[in-house]
Amino acid sequence: MKRLLRRLHYLLNRRRMEQELAGELEFHREMTARDGGQFGNALRLREQSRDAWGWTWIDRLAQDLRYGARVLMKSPGFALAAIAMLAIGIGVNVAAFGFFDLMVLRPLNIRDPQTLMRFHRRSPDAYAWALPVPEMMFFREHTRTLSAVLGKNITKVSIDGEEKQPEAHFVTANFFSELGATAHLGRLLDPTRDEAAGADPVVVLAHGFWQRHFGSDPLVVGQTIRLNGKPATIIGVASAEFSGLNLIEPALWTPLTQQPYFAAGSHLLSDLSVDSSGVQMWGRLSPGVSPAVAETELGILAAELRKQHPKEIWEKESLPSDPGGFAKSLRVGNRRGTGAEDRDEAGPVMAMVGSLVLLVLVVACANLGSLLLARGVAREREMSIRAAVGAGRGRLVRQLFTESLLLALLGSLAGLALGSVVMRGMMTLTGVGPWMDPTPDWRVIAFAAAVGFLAAIVFGLAPALQIAKRRHRANMAREFLVGAQVAASCVLLIVAGLLGRALTHVISANPGFEYQQVVSLDPGLAKHGYGAPKARAYLDSLQARVRALPGVESVSTALVPPLGNVSIGAGMTVDGRQINMQLNHVDPEFFSTMRIPLLRGRNLTAADARSAIVSESLARLTWPGQDPLGKLLSLGDGYTVVGVAGNARTVKLEDSDSVEAYLPIEPADAPSLHLLVKTSGAPNDLARAAMAAARDIAPDTVPEVQLLKTGFRRKLQSAEYTAAVVAVFGAVAHLLACLGIVGVVAYAVSQRTKEIGIRMALGARPANVLSLILRQFSRPMVAGMLIGVGGAAALSQLLRGQLYGISNFDPTSYLIAIGVFVFTVAGAALLPARRATGIDPLRALRYE
Amino acid sequence: MPQKEMPSGALMLLIMRVLRSGPLHGYAVAQRIHILSAEVLRVEEGALYPTLQKILLEGWATSEWGISETNRKVRFYRLTPAGEEHLDAALSDYDRVHQAIQAVLRTA
Repeated sequence: MKRLLRRLHYLLNRRRMEQELAGELEFHREMTARDGGQFGNALRLREQSRDAWGWTWIDRLAQDLRYGARVLMKSPGFALAAIAMLAIGIGVNVAAFGFFDLMVLRPLNIRDPQTLMRFHRRSPDAYAWALPVPEMMFFREHTRTLSAVLGKNITKVSIDGEEKQPEAHFVTANFFSELGATAHLGRLLDPTRDEAAGADPVVVLAHGFWQRHFGSDPLVVGQTIRLNGKPATIIGVASAEFSGLNLIEPALWTPLTQQPYFAAGSHLLSDLSVDSSGVQMWGRLSPGVSPAVAETELGILAAELRKQHPKEIWEKESLPSDPGGFAKSLRVGNRRGTGAEDRDEAGPVMAMVGSLVLLVLVVACANLGSLLLARGVAREREMSIRAAVGAGRGRLVRQLFTESLLLALLGSLAGLALGSVVMRGMMTLTGVGPWMDPTPDWRVIAFAAAVGFLAAIVFGLAPALQIAKRRHRANMAREFLVGAQVAASCVLLIVAGLLGRALTHVISANPGFEYQQVVSLDPGLAKHGYGAPKARAYLDSLQARVRALPGVESVSTALVPPLGNVSIGAGMTVDGRQINMQLNHVDPEFFSTMRIPLLRGRNLTAADARSAIVSESLARLTWPGQDPLGKLLSLGDGYTVVGVAGNARTVKLEDSDSVEAYLPIEPADAPSLHLLVKTSGAPNDLARAAMAAARDIAPDTVPEVQLLKTGFRRKLQSAEYTAAVVAVFGAVAHLLACLGIVGVVAYAVSQRTKEIGIRMALGARPANVLSLILRQFSRPMVAGMLIGVGGAAALSQLLRGQLYGISNFDPTSYLIAIGVFVFTVAGAALLPARRATGIDPLRALRYE
Repeated sequence: MPQKEMPSGALMLLIMRVLRSGPLHGYAVAQRIHILSAEVLRVEEGALYPTLQKILLEGWATSEWGISETNRKVRFYRLTPAGEEHLDAALSDYDRVHQAIQAVLRTA
């Protein structure tokens, strides 16, 4: 330790130390001379003595850095091109990692994010991400492993002056204090005051909503706001950084206990059924308690609760938890279903994005590598001189690599800047709350530095070794670099082609159901506590009213509206295979309203209770080669298949593996049903008229209308983003690769000018010369392309669920991409190669 | 007598042993070793000063500026207590090894 301090002392007082050393040696020299002895080289002696301090490497590094900076400044064109290339390659990686960091690694801006867990329900044959409120209350009352239980229910409310219904978050009153939130104005919810029986209805505004709706009115506290027409007092505004455990900022928060007050007739607080919208539940682990212990305790409590409610609480119900302090855990809102849970799509998508951005970096590195190789030949004289005055091979490699590191450092800085600009743009586009701060944190900065270092090794080490060995026939290295560029950009082009094809396909092709002319209406009856008979009566009269509207062709009801955000997954096991499907409960008019063809068998009838219609894809998947009619669909008590419908991925449009089953509506479904209306007129007019009719029948309800067209477009939008981003990646990488090839071929031509001149003097024709030049590149290009096609085929496997029914081996996409590729690459190679044919033999021979 | 290269461990031992009898400057260290070894050992300045720097770095000696017999400002090296301790340990190590070698040489 002391030794280190002394060394540091030497480093910091280096100048003085050197002077002292010099003085001392001078004295020694004088004395030696007086005594008639000999003295060696004083400078060398000083260097040797200094070595003992152990800081020589710093001197060398500083020397190399200074030299490298000078070299780069002397060729600013090269430096700029190299830095720009690296900035692109590193920038896309930084953006991708930054997003990953934001979602997965960086804790949310809340108190003690490590001890917050999010819980959901699971049993051997069902799962749900929301808990019924009474179940959460039971846990809250009895748990000993959790020091606090937090619940959040999301309900849309109508607010005067807001065109769309904004989201209100009904939360347990400990929500703010437990998350360590601070108020921007006024106060936040207080468990003792605001959750007590008979407490006045109060709301806390979100910062964004306060700015938007109230124009940042500083006197807003104490004012009255009406939600669904019910007055409530504004007690405060939360700070802008408060995440509220949600990706998108809501309009406001209000105590969960007030939900029935705002949503007239709601049974949310007492409804134990899985159909209840329920709450997302978080728990704060008591000190020293592990998540597993808390999960075990909640499982035991659930079994206890099941004794009182054997129907609603599942057999063998468990409550698995996920770390709740990270944005990742906020992605799933309210998913539920039977059977095993569907695979999580985020994993493959992340892997896909990671691979794509890495490919861009590979292209940039390979490109820069060949650029450095070519430059190395130009610097051969310099290297010979340095070697001649005594620089060892290691010293030369170190110096060249230092130059690469310098480039990488500059590239990393530029990439970091580029990456954060991209991130910021993405954040604005997706509209997440202000707490999702895209400013790079230390992880992103470290990542950028690490990627830069790695890149320096990839693009810098091989050329440095080649140059230091002074063997400029570095054909192997060059071929390898060309091959890598070709392969990587080929993969990117093919994937971009696949996504583009998927997009044009989904826009032009028939999705298997009608969406242009259909409107879906969610009366929101369950929210308002309608029982089944009352809801049925309401629906009957609404259907009659809507049917009488001008232009209406057919009206139907369904539990899951197409192209919405709700889905019911179901799973069953057939011959040992797990089959997951999208479930819907529909009435007989559903198929004509949605224009889904019935291919075989018969339609459902109003009298059916245990019949089912399956999609053709489900039939093929479940009973391949057999007649599906009359087969048993083993869900719940079992349904008999009576008909086969055309494939219509009304819920998961993008996933060609998704299959559907339709069951008859059960009386208990009534409060949750959606109305689907097909019109021959303008869907917008119908939407307005249907809304008016719904309001007219039940003035206290808050219905929601959506044009399926809009839902369709929204689904497409994410696909468009993906395709656009990948296309940009592909274009950039491909452009880089083409530029790289131009450079490499041009270099080859200049290197062989003399040889070409001789050949031409001896009678070689331009075609011979062209093939001579291009032959050496055809091998790496063909190899690279084959590898690229293979890589694309493997990588696109991850994309299967996002291709809207296009196979990931779709030959058209592959052929188009390869065509574009061959054409441009050939052009890039021919452009400089043609110069070779214009060489004048006489001048070429005099060359050099 | 031809001068042999000395292993740096041995040189360090000699330098520190010479310094034990009082602070000396670099040239005097070399002289003293030369004389004490009956002019057999000659310490090259190329080995002397790096070793002195190493001794300073380890904290076994400190340096201070003084005036030489020729009236010049020069750096004197003084053994620290830690240096004394290290020297003792090193000397006894050396003795043990030396005796062991002698024993082998005599009896074998």
